Amino acid sequence: MTATILVAEDEPLMRERLLGLLATAWPEANVVAVAENGNDAWDAWLEHEPQVVFLDIRMPGMSGLEVAERIGRQSHVVFVTAYDQYAVDAFDAGAVDYLLKPIQPGRLDKALVRLRDKLDSRPDDVSEVVKRVKAASPIKAPEKLKWLKASVGKQIRLIDVDEVLFFQADSKYTRVVLAGSEALVRIPLKDLLGGLDTERFWQIHRGTLVNVNAIRAAERVDAERMQVLLRGSDEVLPVSRSFTYLFRE
Amino acid sequence: MWKRIEKWNREVEAEQLAVLRDPTLVAQVPAGCRRYFARKLAAMSPTEREALHRFSSSVSTSAAVLALLKLCVVLSVLGFLINLAFLRNTPWWETVVTANALGIALAFSLVGVWFNYGKIVRAKRKALVNMVVLGVVGGIFGALTVALNKGDPWTALLDKLPKTVVIVAIVVTALVAIPTIAVAMLRNRYFENLAVQLKRDAEQERLARELSETQLRLLRAQIEPHFLFNTLGAVQQLAEQGAPRAAELTAHLIDFLRGSMSEMRCEQVALETEFSLVDSYLRVMQIRLGERLRYRVDLPPALAATRIPSMLVLTLAENAIKHGIEPSLAGGEIVVSTHEDGGAIRIGVRDSGVGMSDTPGAGTGLENVRHRLRLAYGEGACLLLSEAEPGLLAEIAIPCKEPQ
Repeated sequence: MTATILVAEDEPLMRERLLGLLATAWPEANVVAVAENGNDAWDAWLEHEPQVVFLDIRMPGMSGLEVAERIGRQSHVVFVTAYDQYAVDAFDAGAVDYLLKPIQPGRLDKALVRLRDKLDSRPDDVSEVVKRVKAASPIKAPEKLKWLKASVGKQIRLIDVDEVLFFQADSKYTRVVLAGSEALVRIPLKDLLGGLDTERFWQIHRGTLVNVNAIRAAERVDAERMQVLLRGSDEVLPVSRSFTYLFRE
Repeated sequence: MWKRIEKWNREVEAEQLAVLRDPTLVAQVPAGCRRYFARKLAAMSPTEREALHRFSSSVSTSAAVLALLKLCVVLSVLGFLINLAFLRNTPWWETVVTANALGIALAFSLVGVWFNYGKIVRAKRKALVNMVVLGVVGGIFGALTVALNKGDPWTALLDKLPKTVVIVAIVVTALVAIPTIAVAMLRNRYFENLAVQLKRDAEQERLARELSETQLRLLRAQIEPHFLFNTLGAVQQLAEQGAPRAAELTAHLIDFLRGSMSEMRCEQVALETEFSLVDSYLRVMQIRLGERLRYRVDLPPALAATRIPSMLVLTLAENAIKHGIEPSLAGGEIVVSTHEDGGAIRIGVRDSGVGMSDTPGAGTGLENVRHRLRLAYGEGACLLLSEAEPGLLAEIAIPCKEPQ
């Protein structure tokens, strides 16, 4: 059986190892993307929406746990970790799939057998376990952003993130739109969104994050597509398919 | 009757020993004379109480009475001899009684002072004045009695008064006050020294204990399983690829493990040893992290033999990797260097990673470093953290001279 796979692992040799072992153990699988950090992993997930994701827990940017939370029940997640006893215990208790580094072929085969079995069913909900592991982890997630620095002409402007209506990816920059003005921030959106509060800023598209307070309405365009209308701006923001669930009644 | 006295005596003795052990028990002592003495005991300093307690519990009342009898015999013989030698006109029993009275009084006061030296040392002048005044009053009273006995008119005594006062004052000061106060002061100095010595011993013991605890912690914490498993994974991967770097990485890992093991066993190492340990650690990390890590280790030959507490620089380097480079999307550079700076040796580990604000959990390693610096140098060394634009600079400053 074939499947689309995303692999996220920061250390090059570990990455090669996982990819090499996967190629041997599951030759028909299609690795659609390989990410070197959490931010790229999430961005690649949005681009490819793979069926299976191998996530290293400790990665630069967003951790594997944070990425898994964002993915929710949209992909089958297999965690990869070197030695995080707190995580391993929780994964065992919650029947969440994980691989210990260095990954050994026999262990990978077992995980793949289980994975192939449930590939057609809806992915398990790992959010509870992930939440528990995050709470037990000695490495705490960085604080959420409060201010952004944007250069406007010769000036550096400080922007209170609460005032932002929406963020939009603009290649290597991020367009920051406020009521009545906008600015460009020299950080790509994929690296910015991990620092923003997910309760306050909803990602509605691979390239768009919108302030919940600025949403006036969401409307259907057709059976598949939706768009968001704003307070304080006339722009209309498209909602991609993987995020329409946010507006389902 | 005798039995009741004995019982009472035993009771008082037990009660006083209890008060000496725990002065708060004073409140339970029956009011009156017993309470009065108990309160006096409770007011003594802990060392004094300790000494008195040791004395009282080793010497029973009967032994004390026996000693007193012996003293009486010695004093009586002395009085009798004095009578024979100098005072033939006085009846012999008078000198014997006087000798006993004076001797026992002095003995009691010395015993009192022996155990209650603190009070006298604390108020030397008051004690001296008290003794002299009492002596003088006694002297005048004595002279008056003698004069009246002889039948002299008491007015004749007035002429002699100043002379009597001066003589009595001098005698009392020389024979009673000065020895008493001297004994008190000697005792006090002895116990003060003892207390200082005990305190120093306790402090040293505490430091030694902390040191071994820190070493244990080091032993447990240094070689992280995370590091080991990831590195072994990298070795395995390289080996399976047939890459020559597999052997290279293994060699660095061996250097690192061997270095750590031997450093953990010593309290101090030469900078050269420490830097080569750091170098093998960073080599391992460099192979693992690839382009994401660049590093440099600079040790001026002049400082190579300088001794520092072991594993400190390694802890800083591990910190730089764990909280600076690994969380950074782009990776960065680590520079380990050292230089002499006016009486201090500064050892810096700078990383161009995510910097101070984004390093949650960086505390334990650094706390460990601070702790070990304190153990080795007291206030003479420090660990400084500063923003390095980008990244973080962690710097140890230690005095040039060797730690104790």
